[in-house]
Amino acid sequence: MGPAKRYASDVVDGVESAVSKKALIGPKFDARGQEEGSMRHYPGDVDGGTNDSDMEREEDSGVDDTDTDSDDAIARGDNKGQKPQYEKSRVSAQDIQLATEAAELFKSNIFKLQIDELLQQVKLQDLHVLTVEKFLHKLYDIIQEIPEWGEKSFDEVELFFKGKVVSVPFCDPKPSSSTQYKFSYRTPDVSLIGSFALKSAIYQPQGSSIDVLLTMPEELFEKKDFLNFRCLHKRSVYLAYFTHHLSILLRKNGLDFLHLEYTYFNNDPLQPILTISCGEQSASEFNFYKTRFSINVVVGIPYGVFDSKKLLPNKNCIRVDKDNNTTPTPFYNFSVLSCSTHDHYLKYLYREKKQSEAFTEACVLGRLWLSQRGFDSSMSYSNSLGGFGHFEFAALMAALLNGGGVNGNKILLHGFSSYQLFRGTIKYLATMDLCSQGHLQFHSDLDSSVNPPSKYMAEGFEVPTIFDKTTKVNILSKISVNGYSMLKLYSQETLLMLSDVVKDQFSNIFLTKLDKVQQVNYDLCYDLELPTGRELLSKFGFLEKVRFTSFEAFWINKIANVIKIALADRIKAVSIDLVGQRKVFPLSKRKPAGAINFTSIKIKMLVNPMESEKLVTKGPSNSDEFAAEAAQFKNFWGKKASLRRFKDGSIMHCCLWSMSSSEPVITSILDYVMKQHLSEDAVLSAQHTRKFHNLLPLPNLPGSSKTSLLNLTSFQNLKKSFDNLYRIIFQLKLPLSIKSILPVGSAFRYTSMSQPVPYAYSNPDFLQDVILEFETSPKWPDEILSLEKAKAAFLLKIQDQVMTNHGDQYNCYFSNDDSIPYNLDIVTLNILTPEGYGFKFRVLTERDEVMYLRAISNARNELKPELERTFLKFTAKYQASIRHSRTMELISHSFPFLSPVIRLFKKWLDVHLLMGHFSEELVELIAVKPFVDPYPYFVPGSLENGFLKVLKFLSEWNWKEEPLILDLVRPEDFEDLTETSLGATDLDSRTMKKLSERLNLQQYKSIQSNFNSLRHEDPQGLNVQFFIASKNDPSGILYSRFVPLPIATRLTALAKVAINLVQLHGLNKQTIDLLFTPALKDYDFVVKLKSPTSLRLSSGILSSTGFKNLENQPTKFPEDLNELSEKMDPTCQLVKYLNMKYKNSIIFSSHVNMGASSQKGDENVITGLIRPVFKAPLKFKANMDCNVKPIDKETVELNKDAIFHEIAAFGKELVVQFETN
Amino acid sequence: MGHIEMMKSGFFVIPFKLPKYDVLKSDKPPMHYMFVKKHQNKIQQEANCLFIVNLPLLSNLNSIKSSFNNICEKFNTVAHITELLYHDEFGLQDVDLSVLTSDLLDTNDLKDKRYTPNNTVLLKFLDEASLDNCWNALRKYSHMPKELVQWEYSIPSVSSFTNFYKHIEINWLKENIHKHMKLFEEREQQAQEQVQSTIVDDDGFTLVVGKNTKSLNSIRRKILNRNPLLKHSQKVIAPSIVDKKAKKDFYRFQVRERKKQEINELLKKFKEDQERIKIMKSQRKFNPYA
Repeated sequence: MGPAKRYASDVVDGVESAVSKKALIGPKFDARGQEEGSMRHYPGDVDGGTNDSDMEREEDSGVDDTDTDSDDAIARGDNKGQKPQYEKSRVSAQDIQLATEAAELFKSNIFKLQIDELLQQVKLQDLHVLTVEKFLHKLYDIIQEIPEWGEKSFDEVELFFKGKVVSVPFCDPKPSSSTQYKFSYRTPDVSLIGSFALKSAIYQPQGSSIDVLLTMPEELFEKKDFLNFRCLHKRSVYLAYFTHHLSILLRKNGLDFLHLEYTYFNNDPLQPILTISCGEQSASEFNFYKTRFSINVVVGIPYGVFDSKKLLPNKNCIRVDKDNNTTPTPFYNFSVLSCSTHDHYLKYLYREKKQSEAFTEACVLGRLWLSQRGFDSSMSYSNSLGGFGHFEFAALMAALLNGGGVNGNKILLHGFSSYQLFRGTIKYLATMDLCSQGHLQFHSDLDSSVNPPSKYMAEGFEVPTIFDKTTKVNILSKISVNGYSMLKLYSQETLLMLSDVVKDQFSNIFLTKLDKVQQVNYDLCYDLELPTGRELLSKFGFLEKVRFTSFEAFWINKIANVIKIALADRIKAVSIDLVGQRKVFPLSKRKPAGAINFTSIKIKMLVNPMESEKLVTKGPSNSDEFAAEAAQFKNFWGKKASLRRFKDGSIMHCCLWSMSSSEPVITSILDYVMKQHLSEDAVLSAQHTRKFHNLLPLPNLPGSSKTSLLNLTSFQNLKKSFDNLYRIIFQLKLPLSIKSILPVGSAFRYTSMSQPVPYAYSNPDFLQDVILEFETSPKWPDEILSLEKAKAAFLLKIQDQVMTNHGDQYNCYFSNDDSIPYNLDIVTLNILTPEGYGFKFRVLTERDEVMYLRAISNARNELKPELERTFLKFTAKYQASIRHSRTMELISHSFPFLSPVIRLFKKWLDVHLLMGHFSEELVELIAVKPFVDPYPYFVPGSLENGFLKVLKFLSEWNWKEEPLILDLVRPEDFEDLTETSLGATDLDSRTMKKLSERLNLQQYKSIQSNFNSLRHEDPQGLNVQFFIASKNDPSGILYSRFVPLPIATRLTALAKVAINLVQLHGLNKQTIDLLFTPALKDYDFVVKLKSPTSLRLSSGILSSTGFKNLENQPTKFPEDLNELSEKMDPTCQLVKYLNMKYKNSIIFSSHVNMGASSQKGDENVITGLIRPVFKAPLKFKANMDCNVKPIDKETVELNKDAIFHEIAAFGKELVVQFETN
Repeated sequence: MGHIEMMKSGFFVIPFKLPKYDVLKSDKPPMHYMFVKKHQNKIQQEANCLFIVNLPLLSNLNSIKSSFNNICEKFNTVAHITELLYHDEFGLQDVDLSVLTSDLLDTNDLKDKRYTPNNTVLLKFLDEASLDNCWNALRKYSHMPKELVQWEYSIPSVSSFTNFYKHIEINWLKENIHKHMKLFEEREQQAQEQVQSTIVDDDGFTLVVGKNTKSLNSIRRKILNRNPLLKHSQKVIAPSIVDKKAKKDFYRFQVRERKKQEINELLKKFKEDQERIKIMKSQRKFNPYA
């Protein structure tokens, strides 16, 4: 048989002949031109089964009609009174067609244009393709020169390779010398396969690989060679012989720059292949170093040489022992079968590509989507998201073009646009279960007329299945069940993104690389060390060897099963990766590593926050009916399993776990089961999770260290106490009756940095704000000072009555409030409850707003900004706070991790001395972003994940150009979406309500236009940096209008540094410590303070080192309430006045929560940042408002020495150290 | 830096030595510089004043008196300081909300109200002679910087910070409110009487209007327009009833016009999107590997 060189297109077209060798590559270039320009289907045509070509013709003419129509329209409309210019109108008409097409065939205009740009970006460079093709021709020539070699026994083979550089990459178990069959080399059939051949290959920065298939001639095999590794060993010898001669010939041809190595195809240890790459640049015309391509030489078995029925997944093909012929060998069977079908599938896909114009583009989109999420075609043991790559996506798409529905109805049509094909495939993955509930069946016969349609069968095999009836291959053999559930989750999320009509999700779908920082991508990450290799190997018995073929695959499968049973619905998905795997190996080696090819194991999971902290793992109930299950349960859980009676009277087998403030329940479960089922010495490290948990201030409450992070009891207690007081106040008889009592303090929405602790009055959050509104009255004074006095008079009345009726339990006092600048007459009534909490009441009237607005309108122009600030402060404190509190409280019920994440983020800001510059609301709105707008990630399911996502968002937020628009409702679940799409007519009231709560396009656009108009005036963001809008505040500036520019940029810079650190060094003790260490060197000067009184205890925070018995929390308030002030933070007043005094020239920062920021709660630090204007000499002016010294008769400069002396004098009793940088 | 007696704008430079603090390490003796000028103004209240720029932290009448007297002493002269005008170190009085929001307080003198820049003060002397004495002494002092006067800061204690947390005495509060409300009522009464006596129209009706409540609607609109939160939002004009009722597809030309408009809009949007993409492309927004 002569050397038959084939290219897919020749074969498909039925021209299978010995064409000239240039044909190997040739057709590639004219293929594009040959493809028929078929028109695309519009969405309405999905179910139409009419003849494609007819329809095309009709549509063609239709389009022509509109063409001329619109031509005229434009000519008439745009060139009024002028002679229509042919050229111009021609372009417009084309544009109109493009525009209509884009709007109807794609999600939107902009989406289509973005897809076009993206495809352009990832296109392979023509020059690179030409260069590598030149080498491919050469390679082809060289292959023809390799001498044939035949009928050698195993010993002869051994002898041949003895002393040679190249060794035979036999897979385990290696053949013995008693082997009967013979090994030979005959010139192969050479062809290109894979995406390069299909022309759906894309540019990848790390370089792309080109697969060259050498099909061994049929005569080298016997019928039964599929058994017991025979064909695989024959192939290994074939590859080694080929490699040996290739390396000699390459040297002879002066191609020394090439580097040859063995590796495994898709990391399948049964499929060794040869990779050819360019080690260095050289002058040779065949050098393709610059193109970054590498070439995989895959040795294949001819299609159909073995009976494919015998290689079905449930068959046994490794028979050593006569008794053991029943254990299925699915991995082995797949490996043998798939290496004979490379060529077949290329032809199959090529046929689909020819029929569907947008097929290639959709393949590229799918490939990008998959790779951004970490999916590829490799075996699942080597990459937890392996088994679903470009090929599988394309094959699925091809199957769906030929059916795929329950009745074999077509899911995709050949006329679809690339967007429609992509969306359809994603939708199929998202909605159809291919694992436990059903599978997809298709035919890949190359003659499409005999192919029955693909069909979804409602029968699941508990393994992901897309079964090809023609080749008997399960396309999804390589993917694990876990990998498949991850794929499904991502598809569902992407479908939601694709259905989002409000926000542009393009970059979230295609452009973001998700697995850059794994702690951002996964909720929990663990390192599992299994120290005793021998113990592990002993569990890899004969049956396991037959079933899994590789030790690694066996272990991954075992761990995955244990985790799945142990954690059940506590997690959404898990992925398990081997660390330290060697994938390539030199030609002189038989395999990449010894018995164990990994050093440790990484377990990463997505948590289901609603279930993750459950105290009890429930098993079967205690009855004879479930005896088998009970035995299984006890067997799995060992001594942890116990019988318990529940409140409803049922008795069940279950496991009880203990809560901890420093680690999630999942960690303790995992730790237990790993020791129980893998090895006593298994070490599960979750250090960083513990570290993050411990960063949250621990409240000084009984049992707080045994309380879960998600437990909100401390907040609930405060709320209960408030409810009692609420009832009392509502019953009071007052001249005006009370309309509403609205709690707005941060503890009511679970976001105060430290948890509320009774009698912890040094905590800056101790007094929780409450807003009191009376029924409307026209009698409120029309003047702010008197209005405040009148309000105070009402508060006095309340105080009087509370003290008269409940004076034995409650205690009241009044204090001045300086939260609204220039309004020095606000008085608040502070009520201390018998439960030990404090509430601060302030009165809001319908007249307040008008007062502040009137002040703006009456003021001189230069005062207006100050009065606007006053107005914003008032709005934020009195009006928006009500909406904000309500929204945040509501939303935190949907997101269990929101509260701890916000609290940790506040702590981080306070550590970095920024908390004092932001309002609590602003901080909360930033922190809620990853929860309400999580795309492309999932909603955070752990403390560290939420926190890192907040930092990641901040580090990437380009606030000069992008607004942050938040939709403060629970994001749609996938189920919600499918519900509405199924029965669009019977929208129930709940769905309607939900729809109305969501931000709609119009609202979104109006907020966007607010932002645009703001940036139009202030393009650099000098006045407002963070535009953060929601339905509560469409203006976007309420909380951020007066954040100083240097502070805003510092926040961004700190977040960038933090994310870089985590990306480079991962999370460990050192990096987390660094994350929470303030960079004091960045400031111009630093003043360290020490207060004479320690506030830690009276702030309600448990010190990590203190003795518990000394830390009894006070159980009552002091008799004389004026003693309260002795345990208050003096430093915060000092900073406040410094900022007032030097507001023009220096920005001072300090820790807001002194009680929580040092060991004893008596240390603080003040840092100063000199505004850049004052760093250079200035012209002297009487109104320059800063402390200066003269340089000459006209110029002055900041008198730093004098300022430092003033600070030292101001805080004389507190300052302990002064550093200037 | 050479010795500078006087700024070009006529301010004397008055240096003071500063006390030493252990926490501060400074090689040169630290100095504070005040800038002083004679205040010239026709307002009676501000006669015999010095205009001082850059007072040290927490200065008060006593601390200024003592240091200025020290300077005067050096040159054997005496100056009697009586008052410190417009002293508002922390800018608490920058804005008087009451005046800005009230009908009753006289806002006519808003324009006459003095606005002195932050970090400046007027130092009032008993008479011109005192002022001249001090002025001459300062001139000489700024001449010979060798014998400097030391400035003594007034240093707050820790409890002066924690005192900010102290409660308001209830009785004091009651009295204060009582006093204030009484005053307010009086003012209100007075204002009403005044208004009633002045504006009685032809029909004998009395018009009761305040400056801020002339016509409620127009005033409210004017005030509401001041809302800084609405500064950047676009105003939506609701379609009038006539517009709502008119048929839009009655004439054929209307249909044709509408179609044309739709196509033009589509095209316009398409062009806009293309522009947007161009901008995004120039910002390298399409790199999936960034």
